[in-house]
Amino acid sequence: MAAWLLSARAGADPLRLRADAVADTQTETQSPTGLVVLQGEDKLRPWLGVEGLVWTGTKPGLTGDVLVLALHMREPHGYGELRVGRFVVATGAIFPVQIDGAEAIGRTPWGSTLEAFGGAPVVPRFGARTYDWLAGVRVAQHVASTVTMGVSYMQRRDDGEISNEELGADFAAAPAPWLDVAAKGAYDLTSPGIADGRVSAATRVDAYRFELFASEQSPGRLLPATSLFSVLGDFPSEMIGGTVRWAAAPRLDVLASGAGQLVGAELGMNAWIRSTLRFDEHGKGSIGLEVRRVDVSAARWTGFRVVGMQPLGGGFRFSSELEVAVPDDPNGRGVAWPWGLAALGWRSKGWEVAGAIEAASTPEYRYEANALARLSRTLELP
Amino acid sequence: MNARRHFALAIAMLFALTLAACVSVLGFPRTGTSHPFEHRAHVDKGIPCVVCHEGVEHAGDTSPLHLPTDAQCRGCHSKPHNEGSCRGCHGEASMREGASLAREHLRFEHAKHDPVVHGDCVRCHSAVAESRPQTLLPQMATCFSCHQHEDQWNLRGCDSCHVDLTADDAPPSSHVVHDGDWIREHGVRAGSERDLCSTCHSERSCAKCHGVGTVPALPAKMAFDDVRLEGLHRAGFRARHALEARADPGLCTTCHSESSCVECHTASHVSPQGTTRSPHAVGWVSVGRGGGEHGVQARIDPVSCASCHGGSGEQLCVGCHAVGSPGGSPHGPGFTSNKNRTHDMPCRLCHGTGP
Repeated sequence: MAAWLLSARAGADPLRLRADAVADTQTETQSPTGLVVLQGEDKLRPWLGVEGLVWTGTKPGLTGDVLVLALHMREPHGYGELRVGRFVVATGAIFPVQIDGAEAIGRTPWGSTLEAFGGAPVVPRFGARTYDWLAGVRVAQHVASTVTMGVSYMQRRDDGEISNEELGADFAAAPAPWLDVAAKGAYDLTSPGIADGRVSAATRVDAYRFELFASEQSPGRLLPATSLFSVLGDFPSEMIGGTVRWAAAPRLDVLASGAGQLVGAELGMNAWIRSTLRFDEHGKGSIGLEVRRVDVSAARWTGFRVVGMQPLGGGFRFSSELEVAVPDDPNGRGVAWPWGLAALGWRSKGWEVAGAIEAASTPEYRYEANALARLSRTLELP
Repeated sequence: MNARRHFALAIAMLFALTLAACVSVLGFPRTGTSHPFEHRAHVDKGIPCVVCHEGVEHAGDTSPLHLPTDAQCRGCHSKPHNEGSCRGCHGEASMREGASLAREHLRFEHAKHDPVVHGDCVRCHSAVAESRPQTLLPQMATCFSCHQHEDQWNLRGCDSCHVDLTADDAPPSSHVVHDGDWIREHGVRAGSERDLCSTCHSERSCAKCHGVGTVPALPAKMAFDDVRLEGLHRAGFRARHALEARADPGLCTTCHSESSCVECHTASHVSPQGTTRSPHAVGWVSVGRGGGEHGVQARIDPVSCASCHGGSGEQLCVGCHAVGSPGGSPHGPGFTSNKNRTHDMPCRLCHGTGP
């Protein structure tokens, strides 16, 4: 096997490896400190690739996990694909789920696609469950490269019992270069009802892009049907809104979004506006401003955010970020929750070094300061 | 009155100065410096493209760009208005760089296309007719107008033109553009075209956010110094995560398992496990219609309840809501289920004889 892999390297794309070591001083967080992340990908052959991403940390305890470890095979003409290993399945109206398993895709030149997948849902930190598996299928059809329609089905079992069973449909169309439309919806077969529905339509006119969107989501959909909290007959969360992007100047973008929300019997809204000014053609230096207002159910707050980044020469880069969240009802946890970060990074010939100071006042701690550091190395082996 | 007028004048001047400064800061082209090459003027005079771009009609995939030299310009413009390099003013560096990047990342041979279009370069490079074109590179739709790429599109065979999309890490400029509020929008867009996404994005792109136990590899955590990166977890997310969760019920478990909440809440002493400190207000549970606030909130965001009371914690609910108990039925109006109430989980917890 090793000999075959080594022989396959002749004439293949380079092996890409990246290692990141991150250290921070946070004490009360689930995020590991002393983190090492290794990732790599290799195209052994044009039709065969492997990819991996693993991490290990020192808090809480010595821990680690595998996020991706997948073998990807592709029929040279694109008629079929096979993924084996640990990866995220996200297709059609099925919500993304990470599995240890396999996915096969078959395609025809006239645009029909058949996908089938199955495996065991991933349990963090190398955990395992018994009789916990899922399987699903999606059938889709492309029409004239501008329309795609699909139907999908997934069944998931937890300890042998059905924890999720959904039938979904998805649709995407680009009938004109300036118009994109997409929609998807999933129907819960265990507790009959709409589990998730989303629609988006976007158009471009000169320097503007407009998007209208709507969604209906049953929060209980994200719980396994074996959970007692999935039988409450939850209120769907409904949202309808729009987004506008305006290229106000060659280096200035303005993006604004507003949506009305209905959660239970309560009507709410969220809106934000963000502008980004680039200091150069490639946006290596930039400054951004954002204002946000959320007024939904028990979540009422206003936020301000400023970000800035500037190359300093010699591979150095300074970046800074400041955010202030002001809750309407602080409930004794501080009138405002400011957060700030100042970072200095350096990059040269595959090496990256970055350090930062982060300071905040949070509902948990009146004052908090952390130091963060990262050392990264990227390699391409012939 | 005079003072007021002088103040207004000063403000107006300051505003004008700021605007003038912004003209260059905002990226508007300055007069007197480089500008797009006068392709249109040359086309209008009927000068064939190959007079300046000599040899381009024979160029292969790895040939040089065939950009004209100063000597070629001076072949016609025998009396240049100064001795500087022509490309210092005529033509923009960004457009030349774009052409160079296209040469590097695309497989394309002018030699194969020239005979087909009979030397009519404008057929693809239609922007030469514009007075101030943003780019002369043909859009992908232009390729599609002749090439029946429908098969390759259907079969996701992008390699015939794109050298290495996954490694390029370059956002598309003319199709499947990631514009607007892409973090919210990408889910509905990717639903029908997940395999199209994978022509550019590796498995890691999805797993870094959607993987279980993914916290360490989150882009916002790894690239803390790249403040341009958007993401749900940027900045002071930990402080406002409860508000974010309440504003979009169920959003968190799109990526996280319930155990993520339990582990962190337990460590922070805001869960029933191992502490007597309750995060709920007085009167959270009351006897009577709807069971007080907890009944309403549980139906608005059941995931939030499960994040602390999931697993064996569900017995807390069963104590009051089991059939015949004082809590009554927890099911909302119109609730139906295809499960067997006495045998299947979780129905049997209340309707049956126990787990």
